[in-house]
Amino acid sequence: MKSLKNWILMMIAFMGVQSASAQMRSPLSVNVDYSIAQPLGSLKDYTDKTSFRGWRAGLQYQLNDQLAIGIRSGYQEFFQKLPRAVYPIKGGEISAVQTRTLQVVPILATVQYQLTKPDAKVIPYVGLGAGAANMEYNKYYGEFSDKYTGWQFMATPEVGINIPFGQGSPLLFNASIQYTYSPYKIQEITNYNVVQANVGLRLHIN
Amino acid sequence: MYLMSASLILTASISSCSKDPLKNMTDEESRIYVTNRADSVDFTTYATFSIADSVAVISNTSNDRRELTDYDKKLIADVSAAMVAKGYKLIARTGKPDLAVNLTRIDNTYSSVYYDPGYWSGIGGYYDPFYWGYGGYGYYWPSYYQVYQKERAVSIDLIDLKNPKNNQLVAIWNAMLRGSGVWNINNVDSMVTAVFAQSTYLKTSN
Repeated sequence: MKSLKNWILMMIAFMGVQSASAQMRSPLSVNVDYSIAQPLGSLKDYTDKTSFRGWRAGLQYQLNDQLAIGIRSGYQEFFQKLPRAVYPIKGGEISAVQTRTLQVVPILATVQYQLTKPDAKVIPYVGLGAGAANMEYNKYYGEFSDKYTGWQFMATPEVGINIPFGQGSPLLFNASIQYTYSPYKIQEITNYNVVQANVGLRLHIN
Repeated sequence: MYLMSASLILTASISSCSKDPLKNMTDEESRIYVTNRADSVDFTTYATFSIADSVAVISNTSNDRRELTDYDKKLIADVSAAMVAKGYKLIARTGKPDLAVNLTRIDNTYSSVYYDPGYWSGIGGYYDPFYWGYGGYGYYWPSYYQVYQKERAVSIDLIDLKNPKNNQLVAIWNAMLRGSGVWNINNVDSMVTAVFAQSTYLKTSN
């Protein structure tokens, strides 16, 4: 939480000096993306279905023409229903239809480096996010749930492009691919590995 | 700062996007069939059984009683047939059977009071061990018996009549039918078939 406090203080400070730097777009932007995520590794043993239920949103502040910092959150839900089967339990068996869900809500500090100047028609970038994620693991046996919630560290490198809608436009199209890792361990999951694709918009607002 | 608040509200509303696994779940999918066994018991050492002539109904809203509805008759017939198919011979209660089969419908729907099988044994209306020829005995419910709350369930218990311990009859196997529709006569066949099929150790030496 200390780093979050620092981030907010930095943010306020940068807002104060924004007029000092002559930039093509205002430095503060918001972004919203739709996300599709594919589980990898042991997460695949729990649910191997691609998740089409996800989004992310963030705020970003441009420190100069190429470097920006920000904060980002979002949501991704993994879901898989397995036909009725018999599972061993301690001292017996259980016959059930299993519904496996994992809901992930990250809160990340981000840094982004744009590989071209802001007047380019296509602005490729690389980024890194790090922070914590709220994980809600819920495995249903029939209508009975076996649920675990908790927070875990999360890191996520990303590559992507921004395409302005016209030169100097404050509105940009965004497309990116990110890899997300979290040392999350619960039941059959030994860590959280996901490749995620995002498409959305970025709007410079202030 | 209003943007930060907006993003916080966005984050707070995240959970509303989740898919509820309990919606669109059929009654069949909602049900689970749990079987528990005493580890130390060799089920091939038993040859004969007898089954209760009615079903105990225990409830947290009305007095416990025995009933013989069409559902109960079907449950008695199906469980008897399943035991016979496993190789056990059905004999009269007075013929000193090795195993007793107790059947119980549990109705805990109207409160969330925890329910522990040990609690039934003291209740009039539940099978007094006298019914099995053991006047003055109690039942012993080993730790593998589980605790349920706030639902309707059906319990099938196998009681060892051959080896009473310290004036107690030991329950050596239990099947618990839980979920929606467990008290529906149309589901008795599939539920009883499932619990006996998944208990592969339940067989005679024949």
